[in-house]
Formats: sequence, structure tokens, C-alpha cells
Amino acid sequence: MHEFPVLEVAGLHIDIATFIAITVSAIVTFVLAKLAVRKLSVENPSKLQNFMEWVVEFVHSTIASTMPLKRVRPFLALGMTLIMFIFISNLLGLPFGIVTEHHHTDTFVSQEMLDEHEGEVELAWWKSPTADLSVTGGLALIVFVLVHFLGLKMNRKHYIKHYFQPFWFFFPLNIIETIAKPVTLALRLYANIFAGEVLIATILMLGVIGTPFMIVWQGFSIFVGAIQAFLFTILTMVYISQAAIHDDEEHAEHAH
Amino acid sequence: MSLHWESFVYAIVAFLILYWLLNKFAFGPLFGIMEKRRLLVQEQMDNAEKNRLESEKFLEEQKQSLQQARKEAYDIIEQAKTTGSKQADEIVNAAREESSRLKNEAVREIESEKNKAVAALRSEVTGLSVKIASKIIEKQVDEKAQGELVDKYLQEVGTKP
Repeated sequence: MHEFPVLEVAGLHIDIATFIAITVSAIVTFVLAKLAVRKLSVENPSKLQNFMEWVVEFVHSTIASTMPLKRVRPFLALGMTLIMFIFISNLLGLPFGIVTEHHHTDTFVSQEMLDEHEGEVELAWWKSPTADLSVTGGLALIVFVLVHFLGLKMNRKHYIKHYFQPFWFFFPLNIIETIAKPVTLALRLYANIFAGEVLIATILMLGVIGTPFMIVWQGFSIFVGAIQAFLFTILTMVYISQAAIHDDEEHAEHAH
Repeated sequence: MSLHWESFVYAIVAFLILYWLLNKFAFGPLFGIMEKRRLLVQEQMDNAEKNRLESEKFLEEQKQSLQQARKEAYDIIEQAKTTGSKQADEIVNAAREESSRLKNEAVREIESEKNKAVAALRSEVTGLSVKIASKIIEKQVDEKAQGELVDKYLQEVGTKP
């Protein structure tokens, strides 16, 4: 398997492939969004604007399926950013890869790595940022913090109470569930995309014979990338809704 | 596969910056435009609804005026019909009166003519009988007997026309 180049600067371990991937994903996402809103028009929208509006409608209805319609608006931009960034990230590693071979120690290759790989180290410089557990973990942490912050801010009483539901001794179980949510969120996305890239690397080893498999797998990877981006977004919204809104609404219904 | 906390932090920072940038430069204006379009559509729908109601009102008015015009036309025809029959009656009545008047006049005239004729005949008969009597009895009959004779004849003339 490929190793990833790690640059050591002032005691920090900079994983160059991941950093490049994150930066490129973010830039592509931003440029795409910016192009879509370049010539905003109410009556005569451009094709890209239409597409972006379709995405907005899609995300809006997705969020609306998890929480009351009037609560959707504040989370729309978050959902849009999540789904666009993750989808573009998922696709980023698909079209090509940059791999260099190293036979001697240099900035990125240590003697241990050479020993481990019998004198020939392959460094991958290009991948999907979501094929790195640190990135999906980072996204999941943002979601985790946001969910519990919103839960405490908007819905404190019911949010705290739900840890002791249905009985007080369920508290440890509820804690496990709370931790499991972001962990599964990160691992699901990471595993799907990483597995896709591993299989691409494996098919590449087949050479010319692998071309039909490559075509099929690339297509399937696009599908998986879209599904995972959608899943991450809707699960985020479900968690937010559970912590910050659902109980609130239920309580309101009981009050009537 | 090795994990580095630097990647983790960078991912979080990059995502937050991306979120902030997108929100400020892309989604904010986009949502604004979509909201504007929503308002525009709403306004146009309201307008359409208003126009529909207005046109319905106009249609109703048109219908009413048509109905009224039809009623007026019907009234006029009815009036003309009654006027016509009344006039016909009047004409017929006038003709009837005229004819009866003419008839009565004719009857009266006939009556008076008859009376005249009777009177003329009476005087004629009187003259004739006087002449006949005077010729027949000339000197033998006096004035008195003559008068009686005449009266007798006259009586006969009056009863046997």
C-alpha cells in the first residue's frame, strides 16, 4: 500500500496529501458556489444558478424531513456546505492519483519506511480528503460540538433529561450512544471513501485488463460519494433535530 | 495509515473557514435571490388572483346588463303587442259604432221619409177625394156631409195602406 508524505515542520507532522486535498476541495467548493452566484438574477437565472438553487431546494427538503419546516432556515447553509464539501471531497480522489517512488531516504522517507517496504517506498500525493480519518473525524467533531451546543442552548431541559430516559440507570447507555453517533459518522464516511480508493489502486495494478472494472468502479464511486455526502448531511440534521428541536416540539404538543 | 492531529485541526479550520466564506459570499446572496423570487411569484399569484376576481366581477356585470337588456326588449315587445291589440279593438269599436250610427240614421231617415210620404199621400188623397166628391155630387152635398165623407175615406186610407 502507498505511504503518505509527511512533512515535519517545527515539531508538527504535516500530512501533505491530506492538506492539499482539503485545500483543493475547499477551493473547488468555494469557486463552484461563487460561480453559481456570479450573476444572480431573479427572473433569468443562469444554468449554474439553477443547478445551485436545485441543490438548495434538495438540501432544504432533506433538512425539512428531519425537523419542522420553520426551523430549517438556520441550518440550510450548514447543510449546503456539508453536502457540497463532502461530495466534492469524495470525488476528488477518483479521476487520478499522483504516486512517486523512492528508493533512498529523503525529507519524506525515513529508513524505517524503506526497511518496511523492502527498499521501495511509494508516496501518494493525491487523494480524497474524506479518505483520511482525521478529516472525517474533524467534520464529525464539528457536528458533535454543534449538536450539543445547540441542545444546551435551545433545548436545555429536555436535552439534559434525555440522558436519563427512560430510566436514570440508562445514563451510561445514553452516553455510549452520544459518543457512538459522531464516531460512526466519521468512520462510515472514511471507510466508504477509503475503500473506494484502495480498490482503485488495486484495479490499477491489473493494468489494461482492469479498464472495464475501473469504469464500473469509478461510476459506482461517484454514486457512493453522493450517497455518503447525503447521509452525512441528513444524519447531522437528524442529530441536531433530536438534541435541539424534536423534544421541544413534543413538549409543545403535550402542552396543548 | 497513520493519524496526525494536525490534519484533524486543519480539516476543522478549513471547514469552518469554508462555511464562513460560503455563507458570506455565496449562500447569503443566493438565499436572498431565492427569497426575492419567492416573493415575486407570490406577488404574481396574488395579482393573478386579483385579476381573476375582477374579471369575474366584470363578467357578472356583463351578464346582468345583458339580462336587463333582454328584459327591456321583452317589455318593449309586450307593450307593443298590448298597444297594437288595444288599437285594433279601438278601430273595431269605432267601426262598429259608426256602422250602428249610420244604420240608425238610415232608419230614422226612412221613418221620416215614410211619414212625409204618408202626409203627402194624405193631403193628395184629401184633395183627390174632394175633387172626386165635388165632381160626383157637386151641388147636392153640403159642406157638412162632405166633411164626414172625407173623414170616412181618410180613416180607410189610414188603416189600409
